[in-house]
Amino acid sequence: MPNIKLQSSDGEIFDTSLDIALCSLTIKTMIDDCGIDEGEDTVVPLPNVNSTILRKVLTWAQYHKDDPQPTEDDDSKEKRTDDISSWDADFLKVDQGTLFELILAANYLDIKGLLDVTCKTVANMIKGKTPEEIRKTFNIKNDFTPAEEEQVRKENEWCEEK
Amino acid sequence: MSSISSAQGVVERASAELSKRINGLGLRSKHHHANNNNSSSSSSSSSTPTASSPSKTSVMERVTNALCGGSGSNSNSNSIQSANNTSVTPEKPSRTGVQQQQQQQQQQPLTITTTTTNPSSQTSTPQQIRKQLPNPLSIHHQMLQQQLQKQQLHSKKVIPPTSLTVDQLFLDDRFLSKFFMYFSPYERCILAQVCMKWRDLLYRSPRYWSGLIPTLQCRELRQFPNPERVKLYNSLIRRGFHALSLIGAQDEDALDVVHSFPLASKHIHSLSLKCSSISDRGMEALLDHLQSLFELELAGCNEITEAGLWACLTPRIVSLSLADCINIADEAVGAVAQLLPSLYEFSLQAYHVTDAALGYFSPKQSHSLSILRLQSCWELTNHGIVNIVHSLPHLTVLSLSGCSKVTDDGVELIAENLQKLRALDLSWCPRITDASLEYIACDLNQLEELTLDRCVHITDIGVGYISTMLSLTALFMRWCSQVRDFGLQHLCSMRNLQVLSLAGCPLLSSSGLSNLIQLRHLQELELTNCPGASQELFEYLKEHLPRCLIIE
Repeated sequence: MPNIKLQSSDGEIFDTSLDIALCSLTIKTMIDDCGIDEGEDTVVPLPNVNSTILRKVLTWAQYHKDDPQPTEDDDSKEKRTDDISSWDADFLKVDQGTLFELILAANYLDIKGLLDVTCKTVANMIKGKTPEEIRKTFNIKNDFTPAEEEQVRKENEWCEEK
Repeated sequence: MSSISSAQGVVERASAELSKRINGLGLRSKHHHANNNNSSSSSSSSSTPTASSPSKTSVMERVTNALCGGSGSNSNSNSIQSANNTSVTPEKPSRTGVQQQQQQQQQQPLTITTTTTNPSSQTSTPQQIRKQLPNPLSIHHQMLQQQLQKQQLHSKKVIPPTSLTVDQLFLDDRFLSKFFMYFSPYERCILAQVCMKWRDLLYRSPRYWSGLIPTLQCRELRQFPNPERVKLYNSLIRRGFHALSLIGAQDEDALDVVHSFPLASKHIHSLSLKCSSISDRGMEALLDHLQSLFELELAGCNEITEAGLWACLTPRIVSLSLADCINIADEAVGAVAQLLPSLYEFSLQAYHVTDAALGYFSPKQSHSLSILRLQSCWELTNHGIVNIVHSLPHLTVLSLSGCSKVTDDGVELIAENLQKLRALDLSWCPRITDASLEYIACDLNQLEELTLDRCVHITDIGVGYISTMLSLTALFMRWCSQVRDFGLQHLCSMRNLQVLSLAGCPLLSSSGLSNLIQLRHLQELELTNCPGASQELFEYLKEHLPRCLIIE
């Protein structure tokens, strides 16, 4: 497999095996679109991913490179969050800022498996929290008026599982 | 449990069918809408750059799901995709081509306008442009980038698409619609309270709320000013709810639904009244209003009389549940038998119902009625069973839970005559013995689920009979106090078993229970209150049955 160079936002170059880089559909598309020939010394700039995060992403991709292609799962079905593999769980034992950067990178680079497992981790993190705690976690502004907030609270408090 | 759900959910199926039709309609009209793509996006006033216009989300979502997913062609980047979101619309190929061309034509002048501000090429007014493209700046970037990319094509340099910040990510429609799938409907109730963006996104997709039922506490609701009640009612429609549960309702609450919730007439398919002092008149007015109702549950409504049921039951109803209503007895079954020719599912918990009532069912119902649950109908005897097997030979689900006068002779009748049974519940029928299990094992070849909780006379011999039933996938034997390890060994040969409960069986030893690892298809195993179930045993079982949920 030929190598490819990825450049992080802070200028670091990562010489990476192409098959690992291609787990990112964004990179794949960029390469396809530009019609890069093999052996050419191309640098793919990733101005939205810094070297710390890119290194982590590549570590993840390296470990998971032989995973079966994620199946086209039913997007309308609720997804489990209690099935994170122990390697992934260890891998994601990072501070919240890094976790969010990883989820952002996975979303941006379009790496399905990494996005899935980071989403699960973040979902587990906020399950059981109050709306206010969730706002704080994600730095989201509460834009409800007090009346609206009371309304939406009632609308949801009065919901029961069948 | 899993097996019964397929038979159980008439209403789920019916409402699924309905929503399919409704969605089908919606899709068709939206397709039409999508052909006028530009105008529809210009009419949206969405303020977020990544938002697909709110009115179209569901279509957009479906499109994204159908087209994008893992396929590389459409997953360039969020920003490109969202800015060009219209181009992903799944139209017939020819249409898409035309659309994209139109779009490009429309965007062309914009690029020029914003980059070179050349007034001569400005075909649309700035006002229009702003409406069309919610965030001109990001589009501007986009266009610049696309131009750059074109240039780069020649110089073979790769220019990546732009991305979001972390803060933007958690307000991004596309990301959130994926992210919300990691929560249960109940957990989403909290998420909807975070901010308007989250609420609006969640509210507009009924799929986020399936499995929940809005349960209005009437005593509290009554205190709200009317406009707020109206808002609350409307939010139910907005979220695609078709079921409504009223707790503690009085006549005035029923009338409020009639007067302030006009959309209920069309959209509420399932109504549940619990612990309500609503009178016959109140209920009649309510049911008269709910013209699309096909599922009704009354629990703890002590003012409702049998005459009331005669007055208000409509033939639309296919699922009826009556429980703990003090005035309900034989005459109510008469009303049900007369007035509900399409009844599919009937649950009745009434202490005073007698054997005679079970002979009232009409020949029509004998074909439609598939699920019958008679719970704690203490007065019922084997004569009642005779009536059931004669009038309702096509039952697939039967529960006699707590019908404590039923004996082995009754079960023999059931086994001989109700050959289509897929689920049978004989829990709390203490007169049942091993003989019943022999009849069941011999004759009920389609039985998938059997519940024998608290059948205290059952022994290992009976368990031996059951273990020959290849069709059985779920078996509940809670508090069957005579079953021993020997009986358990029989069970271990039931390789199709997926759900098993032995909760509270006192004689099962740790080593006996450890044999359960032979049940390789087990998905759920309940061992609460088993003295033989030690911590070591649970660990052993978990190790050997990794896919099984073990309830300790």
